[in-house]
Amino acid sequence: MKTRFAVIVAGLGLLLSAGPALAHHAFAAEYDAKKPIKLTGAVTKLEWLNPHTWFYIDVKDDNGKVTNWGFEMGSPNILLRAGWTRNSMKPGDVVTVEGSRAKDGSNNGNVKVVTLVSTGQRLFAGSSQEQQ
Amino acid sequence: MTFLTDAAKRLQVSIAAMTMLFVMAGPASAQWLNIPLPGTPRTPDGKPNLMAPAPKTTDGKPDLSGIWHADGRYLDNLAGEGVDVPMHPWAAALYKQRMDTLGRDKPQLHCLPHGVPDAMLVAAIPFKIVQTPREVMVLYEEFNQYRQIFTDGRSLPNDPNPAWFGYSIGKWEGDTFVVETAGFKEGTWLDNGGHPHSDALHITERFRRPNFGTLELDVAIDDPKAYPKPWKSATIHFKLLPDTELLEHLCENERDAQHLLGNQ
Repeated sequence: MKTRFAVIVAGLGLLLSAGPALAHHAFAAEYDAKKPIKLTGAVTKLEWLNPHTWFYIDVKDDNGKVTNWGFEMGSPNILLRAGWTRNSMKPGDVVTVEGSRAKDGSNNGNVKVVTLVSTGQRLFAGSSQEQQ
Repeated sequence: MTFLTDAAKRLQVSIAAMTMLFVMAGPASAQWLNIPLPGTPRTPDGKPNLMAPAPKTTDGKPDLSGIWHADGRYLDNLAGEGVDVPMHPWAAALYKQRMDTLGRDKPQLHCLPHGVPDAMLVAAIPFKIVQTPREVMVLYEEFNQYRQIFTDGRSLPNDPNPAWFGYSIGKWEGDTFVVETAGFKEGTWLDNGGHPHSDALHITERFRRPNFGTLELDVAIDDPKAYPKPWKSATIHFKLLPDTELLEHLCENERDAQHLLGNQ
């Protein structure tokens, strides 16, 4: 079952734009590419919905305090064409998220890559930052 | 130059993606993401032959039908990267505001349409052309929208109710499909950067399909209330996505507006 997203589709390379682009999404108005984040935690919720996929993880700090973070990815349509399915990542899965923090300071970010900790597999998130 | 750096970055990501294998799990054969379509010219190994001649309809015209997605170079500036289009002062001020606020007021962030031609230029989300004898339909995957281009000889309507996609008629000039569109609602963005227009906007699109896998488009913008002179786009190239179907796309959890700076 986990092998289903074991690889990334070459088609994503075709879909990535070849020039500087904001894509349809005002990435820079919401997220700060100069504020990269990398967080690990267990998925608490997945919204496999348009226009953007959202998922939430519980991140535990060194004191054991848990904060819930929200992350935005590309449309499920883009993810499906890149080899994801709606079951690729489920509540309870521990993931490492790399992306950019929200400009408004909230515990949210835009995702570049999700790594499934148990297998090490990396899934590109088809997000608007990636399309820049 | 910024362009080279961005292009190099994108090439890196493309190469990374390309080096990974594309695997469809067993149940995928029941899905439509990858489904052999009848009428697709193929190479001896069964892959779609994107260099084959363009298909023709029964009345001998090129058939533009297919699922297409745009080469990304034109997303921001329809006129071409780095090209400045002279505008009347109100339009120039509006364009500057849209650029300065990083597209914060873009209609798409509220799931409203892109309009013409921008709806065809959405990065990574394709559209489908369905060509029939009396009309050509453009089905946009993003937001599940559509545009109709009537080829039955009718004229553009007089004083139509303004529309996001306007009203379109089309005809063939040789192998080029020429589309005239007018009757636009104010407030659509001509491109991702936000080139503005007035209700006087009249767009001429010229489509060509040089081979099975390629579609080309030239856009002419004529809007004397916004631009002192008509102007043309750079030629836009689209690549065919063979053996696949559109996916539904409806706004079910739109929340970009909440996070945009200045919109709290």
